[in-house]
Amino acid sequence: MLRRGLRAMTSDLRNRLLLLLVLPLCALAFLGAWVDFRSADDAAAQHDQRLLRLLPALSDSVVASRVDGAGPMLLLAPSVEEFLRHESDLTAFSVRTPDGNLVLGEGWVQGPMPATGAAEFHSIESGGVTYRVAAQRTRTDAGDMVVSLADGSDTRQQWLQQLILRVLLPYLLLVCAAALAIRWAVSRAFRPLVELADAVERRSPKDLNPIDEATSPAEVRPLVRALNHLFALVHAQVDGQRRFVADAAHQLRTPLAGLQAQVEAWAMLARTGNAGQKSWSNSALTHVDEAPGAITLRAEEIEKLRAATRRTSQLAHQLLALSRADARNVDGASLKRVDLKELCEAALEGHLDAASAKGMDLGLETTSVHVTGHDWLLRELLTNLVDNAIKYTEPGGCITIRCGRRHGGTGLCGYLEVEDDGPGIPEHEHERVLQRFYRLPGTVGEGTGLGLPIANEIARSHGTSLALLAGAQRKGLLVRVVFPAVSRKRAEGSAGR
Amino acid sequence: MRLLLVEDDVMVASGIKLGLTDAGYAVDWVGSGERAQEVLATESFDVGVVDIGLPGMDGLELTRRLRLPGMANPAMPVLILTARDALEDRVHGLDLGADDYMVKPFELPELLARLRALLRRSQAATTAVLSFGPLELNTATRRACIVPIDGRAAIVIELGPREWTVLEYLLINAPKPASKDKLLQALTGWDKEITPNAVEVYVSRLRSKLEPHGVALCSIRGFGYRLEQAD
Repeated sequence: MLRRGLRAMTSDLRNRLLLLLVLPLCALAFLGAWVDFRSADDAAAQHDQRLLRLLPALSDSVVASRVDGAGPMLLLAPSVEEFLRHESDLTAFSVRTPDGNLVLGEGWVQGPMPATGAAEFHSIESGGVTYRVAAQRTRTDAGDMVVSLADGSDTRQQWLQQLILRVLLPYLLLVCAAALAIRWAVSRAFRPLVELADAVERRSPKDLNPIDEATSPAEVRPLVRALNHLFALVHAQVDGQRRFVADAAHQLRTPLAGLQAQVEAWAMLARTGNAGQKSWSNSALTHVDEAPGAITLRAEEIEKLRAATRRTSQLAHQLLALSRADARNVDGASLKRVDLKELCEAALEGHLDAASAKGMDLGLETTSVHVTGHDWLLRELLTNLVDNAIKYTEPGGCITIRCGRRHGGTGLCGYLEVEDDGPGIPEHEHERVLQRFYRLPGTVGEGTGLGLPIANEIARSHGTSLALLAGAQRKGLLVRVVFPAVSRKRAEGSAGR
Repeated sequence: MRLLLVEDDVMVASGIKLGLTDAGYAVDWVGSGERAQEVLATESFDVGVVDIGLPGMDGLELTRRLRLPGMANPAMPVLILTARDALEDRVHGLDLGADDYMVKPFELPELLARLRALLRRSQAATTAVLSFGPLELNTATRRACIVPIDGRAAIVIELGPREWTVLEYLLINAPKPASKDKLLQALTGWDKEITPNAVEVYVSRLRSKLEPHGVALCSIRGFGYRLEQAD
């Protein structure tokens, strides 16, 4: 996310820089073109003037032949001769009769016949060269003639041709080069940022350890420092919050223990039918039948009270467990070899009474396997999974606790499994049931919505996670925790802290 | 059964006292470790329930002193109550001579079951009689009998030596289940080449002898067996 954002930002910046650079470049190109055009225009005007000056000289050069029948002769005036000779391949002339017949000169030097005596200018293409042609109807020695002079060295034409080459192409190249340079410069300038974004992105949301300032590029070091400061603040806050939850849960236990002990005792008395018959004259617990303001609770009401008390106690315990299971809170040094089979047997023992009270078949399928982990956390994990299975499976159901080895991502890995044949969890709810306090819609029973989140938190502190699957015959729920293979686990354990 | 309850929290203490008294224990309740030490120096109790977090001398220190020679009840089984549940505390408590522990808040029926198991074990050490509900095993005479609650005459149950071994093991562990492996190990004293199937055979024989008297022998799938009282 962050990285993608940064990508978008760099390309945004790149485009903006490019735009900011290209606009002035374009303006500059236009200015250059305009200045160029102006100077070309001046030069062209001078050319035209020159042609205009030469036209009378050319008309003077046309001399009627003294020989009858022959056409007029050309006696070039020195200025015209010089003009024609000077750039012989780019200059030409023609003399025509007013009705268009060529008398002297080149045939192609011919524009529309001027109607008046004023000089006219035209542009004519010939042999790939654009000529500026000045034509004028004049009176010559040989009568009315149209004299034309063509000049191919017209700068205006050349300018038009060269405009692209001389002005636009360099600017285009400049813009391209600028675009490349900007692209390179921006991505280079942002590389430390992108790398930092990568580093921040790669961390788990739970990881609030500071980023190593020493290995960060100098440009982003202030940012890293600020980030670390923020991390520290958030860490302190999260830590404080977790400690608060832990303290609160811990403080709750003592009064809860009192409450529960009382209610449990009443429930027992109610069940054995001793309430109100025994009296303890030596204690404050003198039976209350005759006491003023006394009320009588029926056995089932006491049972309800007891169930609520047990649930509250469990919630306090789970809150404490959750804050302890927090990955950041788990001490990496206390990792040790844990016998999963022993763990499964302990979980079975701990839940036998609850299971047999619901007429359930709670069983084991274990093979001997060891993993590296935290003994008491894994015990808590399994307890929560089995608790859940017993709570949500109908009476008479079947629950199996398993451990063993299976092929995981890194070879043979130890795994724990709890499978029930209860209602299961629909696949689209899998993600949400791992959220704290979330309970499936329509769920009844005494759950707190913390069992699976705690188990997942513990799994995560062991570098793995809960897999929620369907049980055998696509029925019920199978929760599996596959532990990372030992070698990898060790590597993580030493690198992670 | 005389029980010493050492607990400073009045609510917890009165709840436990109420429940345990109802279950037939004679409960003496003191609120501090120092007072408990005085009482223990002169009077004798069958079992103690001690809170760790006491004002002054804490429960662990009390348990340690209790075991010192010269005290009146050096062998009294002690069940520790704790609000701390980190494993360190548990192990620590058991190292110092506590026999079992429970984390507060707890369920009363479980406390009763644990106390019964503690008492059964300490009783077996002194009187050679193991009991579970109506079932009584005299380890000295190797006789098993059913003692009905209503005071009728005891019924003797005839057991073969291997059946006896299995039942004794189950009884010592009750209400915890006993694994098939452990039962097998207990049986190898009799027979070197015993097979897992043999355990099943003895269990089913025991079942047919005990079930008519309200003692059930339940199979735990994939693990073993445990004794249960069928009510």
